[in-house]
Amino acid sequence: MTSSDRILHVVLRALPHLAIFTAVILLWELAVTRAWVDPFLIPPPSRVSASFLRLYVTEGTIWWHLFVTMLEAVIGFLIGASAGIALAVASSVHEGFRRYVSPYAVVLNVTPGLALTPLVIAWFGFDWGSKIALAAIICFFPIFVNTLAGLTRRDADREELFASLGAGPADLFWKLRVPAALPLAFAGLKIGMTTALIGAVVAEFAQATEGVGILLQRYSFVLDMATAVAVLLTMSLMGLTLYTLMEILDDRLVFWRRDAGLARASEHRRRAWVRDGHVPNEGTAVLNTNATGGHKT
Amino acid sequence: MAAIDTSLAPPTTDANLRRRRLATHLGIFLALMLTWETAARLGWTNPLFMPQPSQILNSFWVIFVGTGNVWRHLYVTLTEVFAGFIAGSVLGVGLAIIVGLNPLVRRFLQPYVIVLEATPRIAVAPLIIAALGFGFQSKIAIVMLVCFFAPFVNTLAGMLSVNRDGIELFRSIGASKWQTFRKLMLPEALPTVMAGLRLAMASALSGALVAEFISANEGMMVLIDRYTGSLNMPSAFASLLTLTALGFLIFKGMELLDEFIVFWRHESRLAAASRKRARAWEAAR
Repeated sequence: MTSSDRILHVVLRALPHLAIFTAVILLWELAVTRAWVDPFLIPPPSRVSASFLRLYVTEGTIWWHLFVTMLEAVIGFLIGASAGIALAVASSVHEGFRRYVSPYAVVLNVTPGLALTPLVIAWFGFDWGSKIALAAIICFFPIFVNTLAGLTRRDADREELFASLGAGPADLFWKLRVPAALPLAFAGLKIGMTTALIGAVVAEFAQATEGVGILLQRYSFVLDMATAVAVLLTMSLMGLTLYTLMEILDDRLVFWRRDAGLARASEHRRRAWVRDGHVPNEGTAVLNTNATGGHKT
Repeated sequence: MAAIDTSLAPPTTDANLRRRRLATHLGIFLALMLTWETAARLGWTNPLFMPQPSQILNSFWVIFVGTGNVWRHLYVTLTEVFAGFIAGSVLGVGLAIIVGLNPLVRRFLQPYVIVLEATPRIAVAPLIIAALGFGFQSKIAIVMLVCFFAPFVNTLAGMLSVNRDGIELFRSIGASKWQTFRKLMLPEALPTVMAGLRLAMASALSGALVAEFISANEGMMVLIDRYTGSLNMPSAFASLLTLTALGFLIFKGMELLDEFIVFWRHESRLAAASRKRARAWEAAR
């Protein structure tokens, strides 16, 4: 398939989606202008896009708020994730630690984290600190539990192979446990990333002077629904961005889950080996004759 | 959405060992409480931020028995949680079944589901409150919305993961569409659906609390907010711990429901169910 063919293919596949999207938007617009629904409660797409334009381009008010909330969520996530991973590693290494820490982790899990909002604000003040703290608190648990589950998953065959090759505890941890835990840990990190954003936004609902959370609340309280919906869609976009970033990181680090990634990584390693002189270069030649052997006969 | 494994430590069967471990747990807990109490009494921690355990216990007594004001708020929050959860999950599962049975609808709905998934759902709360008013309905609507997605996405995922060979087999022995759904797709999807419902229930409580936080005159979050606002920290902590207990009860309740509905995934329930069937067979013959 040539590249122009591929582009055509993508366009053809996207076309029905686009058509449906346009139809839905048109129907929505029509429903509001014909007053089938209350335009006050459900703003028409035209007004939402006008608000988008105003927020992003003409007034440009949203950028600073966007930046603040992103920063709060990401810093909170980093703190919560470090704590979660550190505790998970400690629990996986030391069984007694796990046994006596786990009840508290469970208690923390069944407590609705967002209920801590007023207390967190009392502790950390009205500034960014309380938002970061809430984000860190509520993203801690999914990361902790998933990392721990990944680290404590045991594969007897692999452990035995490592033992028979004379691997020490450090090798066992870094070369077996950690890679085996990565897929699950990343599932936790992805959940944690979106939770951290929720934490930051909810803390902003409570008390804030800047951030998209307070922006959304202000616009809905003055009943400017079109702008409120535009801010809400911005939050979706933020969630999507953060999630996609984690997904890309996941894809890079847990490369062996994807065939293409695995092939690339092993090719890279093979070259490094050949370059360092571990393997004579005939290795490739043998491989090549094998691969082309079928054509000769 | 990945399911979270919450089993942190494998249980032991040795009764003696268990008793000893329980004693250690209690010891650690008591030591922690004592340290906390002495630290507060000696003025190492600020009692305004970190009330001591004895004060929290006292507040428990006050809010549950003395003035008894917690019951009303607990009732309001629970009503919101359950009404919203039932409405949201029924809608989510129902819609997912309709969508899951129709491949065309499925394909065109997917992008929207992804966008909705990425939106921080609780963030819709101010909008809904502006649209539906400050009363009860807006809280139930928020909980409903929060509870909608996990069952919807999981039911859809469960329906999509149904084994191709199984469908082939059902078709080859001439099963109707309803039979295929009832006897193949539903049982295969149920564990995933239940996982979705458990996730939804866990977020229902948070949804109700955030909704109350934004605007309400009653409910547990209002109570916590008021206590914190008047710097009555022991009572705020007692209310928070009440929510912990509530969260625990809800978690356990959903676990029981899971064992009951998806009984074939739990050894003991499976054994009980097959014994029951064996007896029914004997009786029939």
